Amino acid sequence: MLAAVRSELTRLRQPRLLVTWFGLMTLFAVMINTIMITFASGGGSLPPGAPGVAFPTLAELESPSGLMSGLAAASSMFGMVTLSIWAVVTAGDYGSGLIRLLVAAEPRRWRLLAGKVVALVILTAAATTVAAVVNVFAVLPAAGAAGISTAAWGTDVVAVVAGAWVNLFLALCAWGVLGLVIATLARSAAVAIAIGVGYVLVVESVVKMVKDVPSDWMLGTTLNAVASGGTAAVTYGTALALALGYVALGLVLAGVVFVRRDVTD
Amino acid sequence: MSVVTTTDLTRRFGPITALDRLTVELPAAGVIGLVGPNGSGKSTLIRILLGLIRPTSGSATVLGSATRSPARYASRVGVLVESPAFIAGLSARANLVSLARLRRLPLERVDAVLTQVGLVGRDREPVKRFSLGMKQRLGIAAALLSDPELLILDEPTNGLDPAGIVEVRELLRDLGREGRTVIVSSHQLSEIEAVCDHLVVIRFGELIFSGPMAEMLKRTREHIDIAAEHAADMDRLEAALVAGGWAVTAVDDVLRVAAAADQAADLNRAATAAGVTLSRLVVAQDNLEEIFLEMTGRMDGELASGRAAANGKVA
Repeated sequence: MLAAVRSELTRLRQPRLLVTWFGLMTLFAVMINTIMITFASGGGSLPPGAPGVAFPTLAELESPSGLMSGLAAASSMFGMVTLSIWAVVTAGDYGSGLIRLLVAAEPRRWRLLAGKVVALVILTAAATTVAAVVNVFAVLPAAGAAGISTAAWGTDVVAVVAGAWVNLFLALCAWGVLGLVIATLARSAAVAIAIGVGYVLVVESVVKMVKDVPSDWMLGTTLNAVASGGTAAVTYGTALALALGYVALGLVLAGVVFVRRDVTD
Repeated sequence: MSVVTTTDLTRRFGPITALDRLTVELPAAGVIGLVGPNGSGKSTLIRILLGLIRPTSGSATVLGSATRSPARYASRVGVLVESPAFIAGLSARANLVSLARLRRLPLERVDAVLTQVGLVGRDREPVKRFSLGMKQRLGIAAALLSDPELLILDEPTNGLDPAGIVEVRELLRDLGREGRTVIVSSHQLSEIEAVCDHLVVIRFGELIFSGPMAEMLKRTREHIDIAAEHAADMDRLEAALVAGGWAVTAVDDVLRVAAAADQAADLNRAATAAGVTLSRLVVAQDNLEEIFLEMTGRMDGELASGRAAANGKVA
């Protein structure tokens, strides 16, 4: 499988792809910190159930974990970016016809799929690092300008940064797997992105608005909880277990479809 | 020894039968032409041989291994399936390196195949800047990467300029002479005739012919193309020839008469007797294209009616 990983990593070194991915992570990290600090310092908050973002309170922002709270706040945005990139990479093999060459060269298709997943996980770690670094560089001047106390941010800084990085990384990997699964089924990046983004921004939001329907188990809510290290509604352990279940189910589905389906285009 | 065998190989796509109990053996070594009209089942056969799709029934082997286990022979097979497929934003070299890594090949092979197809010097440019011909060369380079025993090339000269076509023709010949087997699927029948040692013709998923090219070319016949000096005399000329017992077919602006060279004088006399002056009288030999069209249908209409008669087979 190592050969498939190295091969996939070579294909992923496309300047446009990496600039887009890391650029969007940078953009959202800067944007969310700026908006988050503005809202928190003004005492405002987003309406409950707003899709894609969950802002901390001022007290949370001024706690030791406030340094990295931007990552959790924008985890759904980072997730959409990651979902889209994984979907583009996966569906791109079908769109270009490259899948024929790949399967002819490595007919053990599960190795190809596993190689792609591992390679994308490695790049997702890099993208998470970009988001974490930009987050730190964005939140410090924003907090200073807004007069928010950063005195507690030096406490357990390594643990806070590492914890936030791990939580976001795990959530992004799950978002990415979702993109890969839909792209494997649809063989189209556009369809995969539309379904993924549409689900989070429309379906989950609508379900959440229907108060009688429990939504804590839903994918977006679960992955937000993972990225946040747990929420009031979902504990970290529960969120991790649920996310692992979603990922396992998705990978089995994608694997069965990829291995069994004809490569006709 | 056969490099590829199929036994009652059948593949259906819903109501369409793309391959219909195809049984054929392809000999090892040399260049093998795989020809047939559009939709004849050539691509379906190639995809089954590569393990991209599975047959509905029947079986096939490649290099002695069943196609249900393509991993057993994949490292010994190089492919160019339909149009060359690469990542446009990556350089030619990076695309080949990614395939070399997937096949666990030393990266020296990348330089070797780039040299072989004449892309050295352009190999660090993104593929998106390549012409169709250059992409085709890169596709052939990818197929040669594993130094394979068996090459399966679908339309390898597509998009190449005349010089490129000649180069690829020489390359295919050389590969065949080296003891490899090269299966070439192409619509360029002149190319097939020029380079292939063995020919397989498929129509509606059924085998029409499989054998040495020389055997196929034995089916060629002489014919004589004639034309009247004045176009208005063509009908009269045709009537006179038919009355004389010749089989005549109008092809473009000439009448093609099924006749040997020693009948040229008789034709000329028949035309003169009918009061027609000839402006052209050329003795020629049928080529592969003529035989192919005779076997598979000359016109789209013939193909369409043939398909209808085939009752549900691939369109």
